Amino acid sequence: MFTRHVSRQLAAHIDGELAPSRARQVELHAAQCAQCRAEREQVRFGMETIERLPPVEAPDAIWVSIEAALRERQSQKAWAARRWRWAFAATAVLVLLGAAYWSVAHRSDARWDVVRIDGSPTVIRAGKWIETDSASSATVKIGDIGSVEVAPNTRLRVVTARPGEHRLALARGEIRAKISAPPRLFFVETVSGTAVDLGCEYTLNTDEAGFGLLQVTKGWVSFQWQGIESLVPAGASCRIRPNVGPGIPYFDDASENMKRALGDGALNVILAEARVRDTLTLWHLLSRVEAEDRARVYDRIASLTPIPAGVSREEALKLDAETLKRLKEELAWTW
Amino acid sequence: MVDLSDRQIGAEIVAACRSGDRDAFRVVYDTYKDRVYSIALYFFHGDPAAASDVTQQIFLKLMTSMGQFRGDAEFSTWLYRLVVNACLDAARRRKSDAVVSDRSCLEAFAAPGSQEEEYSRAQMASSVRAAVSALPPKFRMAVLLRYFEDLSYEQMAKALHCSMGTVASRLSRGHRMLAERLRGLIQG
Repeated sequence: MFTRHVSRQLAAHIDGELAPSRARQVELHAAQCAQCRAEREQVRFGMETIERLPPVEAPDAIWVSIEAALRERQSQKAWAARRWRWAFAATAVLVLLGAAYWSVAHRSDARWDVVRIDGSPTVIRAGKWIETDSASSATVKIGDIGSVEVAPNTRLRVVTARPGEHRLALARGEIRAKISAPPRLFFVETVSGTAVDLGCEYTLNTDEAGFGLLQVTKGWVSFQWQGIESLVPAGASCRIRPNVGPGIPYFDDASENMKRALGDGALNVILAEARVRDTLTLWHLLSRVEAEDRARVYDRIASLTPIPAGVSREEALKLDAETLKRLKEELAWTW
Repeated sequence: MVDLSDRQIGAEIVAACRSGDRDAFRVVYDTYKDRVYSIALYFFHGDPAAASDVTQQIFLKLMTSMGQFRGDAEFSTWLYRLVVNACLDAARRRKSDAVVSDRSCLEAFAAPGSQEEEYSRAQMASSVRAAVSALPPKFRMAVLLRYFEDLSYEQMAKALHCSMGTVASRLSRGHRMLAERLRGLIQG
């Protein structure tokens, strides 16, 4: 005769969390009860499937945000303490206000410092220009959010340096940026558009005409020009060129045929060579190709990876912004 | 179970945190950040912004309330209690938690097949994420806690504010729900 079903204890039994006597009861019951045996297999199968979820590394920007929040709280505490004292000494108020103003005006996260120099680069602090020749380089510390290595033969200008925005203009040459900050705090302007940091490390080079390359080694960078955007994740690159917007991003390990085809605009080759992670390239192509080619690009994406629920082919082909965003979020798991 | 870090937090690190040592807190953060973020990311249907916000809130709360940690429970149990509270609170505040319905899961599984191994892997990972997203929040949290943090049922019970029997029940039901949603795809 069957005892009570043991459905509720099956996970604990599999995980070895039951007391020996209780575990024995579960085993005896399962030996006689087909329903509980089937349910035990279901639980075991569920446990196996979830192991297909990869762990994900926390973005560096989280720690930066935590530090900023802690600084803010300390600042508020200091402010409260000062206010109490002000009730007793008006003179102290003026002194503290002056100190507070100095503190804000000289916040470390707004300061730029040239911390290392090789050779003899020209550093024009007043005009905020940094220029290196063929034998010199420099490293610029960007407040508390990161640093920029300035390669030889580079001309760089500090446009904005304040806590909420750090902006450089790269006239020519190459920089390597390492940024640990919340997204959209660090910008590099070029003739061809603006690189917007989304929490990352990257190399950006350009000539004076605006032709160059963005290579991302960690995190993400958005390269933007007049409403056209290329999102470039770690391991991918994107050509930049003047007056036409950023190129289509591609993974550095994509086939040479595919990279060449991107330069030549050979869509057939791109579609044929694309792998699952090359949906990065295909997703960007959706909004850049002519309408008659869009369906071919979409269908190639669908043949490489499942289209998420809620994304319709029709809306994607109409370039519906919400649909493309949803599609990108799903595809990005493979990028 | 995943193994994202071999390091464990000792009493001396906890004591240093309680005295306001920022470096000690950084050790705690580095030890747990990936596990906490992973749980939050899968709990919030792969939304990195929501996961980042909640992870930040959790560690800020951890730092500011470290003085309340008496050492009468394991540190990780206390931390994961904060994780559970933050995720479930945030889920309640969101307009709609369940973004993936059973029907949509099934539709995803029924996508035209391909023999390519890469496609299969991508399809499977996508389907598992969708199936986890479709679990009710309390079941989803129990399943993610078990997978990403090797807590005992007793520790999970403390983190989830429930009895060990309830933990066992949620894990049994949660994993069965996953199996029911995924079985057809894997075998079919």
